[in-house]
Amino acid sequence: MSGILTAWLGTIPTFAAPFLLATIGLIINERAGVMNLGVEGIMAVAAVVAVIVNLSGGDIPLAILGGIGAGLVLTAVFAFMAVVLRIEQVLAGLVTFALGIGVSGYLGDSFENQPITGLSPLPAAWFAHLPPVLAGILDQDLLTYFAFVAAVAIWFVIEHTDLGLRLRATGEDAPAADAAGVSVPLMRIGAVMAGGVFCALAGTHLTLVGSHLWVDGMVAGRGWIAVAMVTLSRWSALRAIAAALLFGAVEALVPQLLSSGLNVPVYLIEMSPYLATLAYLLISGFFQTTADAQPADLARPYLREERR
Amino acid sequence: MYKPLVSPRLAVSRRLTALTLTGGIVTGLIVCTCFLLTQGMGLSDLASQFIGYTFGDPEGLDQTLTRSIPFILMGLSVAICLRVKFWNIGVQGQVWAGAMAATAVSLYHIGPAALRIEAMFLAAAIGGGLWCGVCGAARLYLRANEVVTTLLMNYVAAFLAQQLLYGAWRNPTDSYPVSQSFAPGETLALLGFGHLHAGIFISLAGALFCFWLCTYSRVGFMARAVAANPLAARAVGIPVGRVVLLMATLGGALSGLAGFCIVCGEEHKLTQFVGDPDFIFKSIVIAYLARANPLGVIIAAIAVAGLDTAGDSLKAFYQLPGATVLAIEATLLLCVSSFEFLLRYRLDWVKTGKVAK
Repeated sequence: MSGILTAWLGTIPTFAAPFLLATIGLIINERAGVMNLGVEGIMAVAAVVAVIVNLSGGDIPLAILGGIGAGLVLTAVFAFMAVVLRIEQVLAGLVTFALGIGVSGYLGDSFENQPITGLSPLPAAWFAHLPPVLAGILDQDLLTYFAFVAAVAIWFVIEHTDLGLRLRATGEDAPAADAAGVSVPLMRIGAVMAGGVFCALAGTHLTLVGSHLWVDGMVAGRGWIAVAMVTLSRWSALRAIAAALLFGAVEALVPQLLSSGLNVPVYLIEMSPYLATLAYLLISGFFQTTADAQPADLARPYLREERR
Repeated sequence: MYKPLVSPRLAVSRRLTALTLTGGIVTGLIVCTCFLLTQGMGLSDLASQFIGYTFGDPEGLDQTLTRSIPFILMGLSVAICLRVKFWNIGVQGQVWAGAMAATAVSLYHIGPAALRIEAMFLAAAIGGGLWCGVCGAARLYLRANEVVTTLLMNYVAAFLAQQLLYGAWRNPTDSYPVSQSFAPGETLALLGFGHLHAGIFISLAGALFCFWLCTYSRVGFMARAVAANPLAARAVGIPVGRVVLLMATLGGALSGLAGFCIVCGEEHKLTQFVGDPDFIFKSIVIAYLARANPLGVIIAAIAVAGLDTAGDSLKAFYQLPGATVLAIEATLLLCVSSFEFLLRYRLDWVKTGKVAK
């Protein structure tokens, strides 16, 4: 039993990191007032391009850069639709999602199921003197470490810097931000692109760290979970760490339970984080906390010439 | 120097609406055709696949029409919700909920045997309606964003279905995780043309009902006011919350009926493939291409079902991955929605200061 526990705790950060990266990417988007539902597609494109680059002889940093680049191309399509053309953001996001899933399936068709070496964890010797449980938790790869550091850094930038103030103002009250001299379109495009970098990193994490190969449809709804996790973490990158660990813990539990042979309702356990998020939404709605935390101008296109 | 100036249009003519929609669809089709031409297909191949097989060949037409039955209902579901600016991205969950409710009625022999299929129909509508209505109520009373709640309800339904299929409802004599087959009286009759079943009447009746509801009924009138300006609607005494809740519940019920048509018309039992995650996007494509018009949904649903049929044969004959169809649909929607920009805004080029000298 303790063996299972150690193995479970050790895999949680790996499962949590993609959720965390995608969620902080979305938080940057949404704090500027843009709802990006295309994250699932961005992750898929980044995941497949990272594998293709790696299989074609590129090393890991190049694979990560390739993934980010591919994710950014798709993010730019979304930014053009949502910010420049001011199409309804839910629709623009869904188009981005389907485009990403379609393109990744097309690109990855001839690279499916080919294993790559991927990104390996830090040398185990570094953690040898620690208790095994702690060593298991700390012995992760650099991208996973980056996810947790980035969450804190993004939280600091959003909440405690001038740039963050402008970003939040754009999301809370775009007309006021515009009147105060913030370029709303530029700020929003910047936020969407910066968020796209993190969403793409989440995708590269899935293949380079998680599976070490590409399978069509392997993002499997993780991007959508990130959309819900933004609400769960109430638009705070710091609370996103806790939310990601919760979903990561449940996801990491499932393979352990399956391999342990215990007779447990696996699907009900997998359902539990979704139910927990729904319950959280409803309860916090009752106490008015979530709705108050939501950026007031979320998903509302802004045009100076348009009076509201 | 010139710079662009974007200004919102106050009135839009019907002609411009029709022009932009046509322009968007034509541009999208041209882009997709160019892509498929680069994949080693000739124009005649494309025509024979997309038009000849999909709509001309009995086998292809059968597949297209059978698929369009649930697509019409799902498209209506999203369209009805869009009428009050409620984004229903939980169609997959509502299809599962409807299918599970209908299956439960069959498995537990609820109601008199003579009215079993009617009971299943009702159960599916209630199941789907509840699945979406809960989200409507959460938005109304708890200000919970419906994009997130309807999305999460997809997963709750899908995992519940997996749990039942691998657990309590599993048919022990079948090696696949499926439920017991329905009794002969619990399925929709075939119409004598391939797999086409009586569900087509349900979906066509649903479209007519929604058209009446949106165009001629009191609720439809109030829904138009709510969509145009909720604050103004409230000020003149329209019960905004209740209208949104009613339309959301109705939308969910339509998706639930799509689930009913799939289990009772096609599968004749609950299987793992009833609630496809692709339904979420496809239903939105259908509703949006139809501009949320219930009668337009019929045409859009048949067109999207036709794309699916063509996609299946592209997969078989040209080794194009199945996801290509999704990319084609996304490109179409991208072009159509981008053309909307011209509909909503006017683009002028204005001279900037320096030209004066």
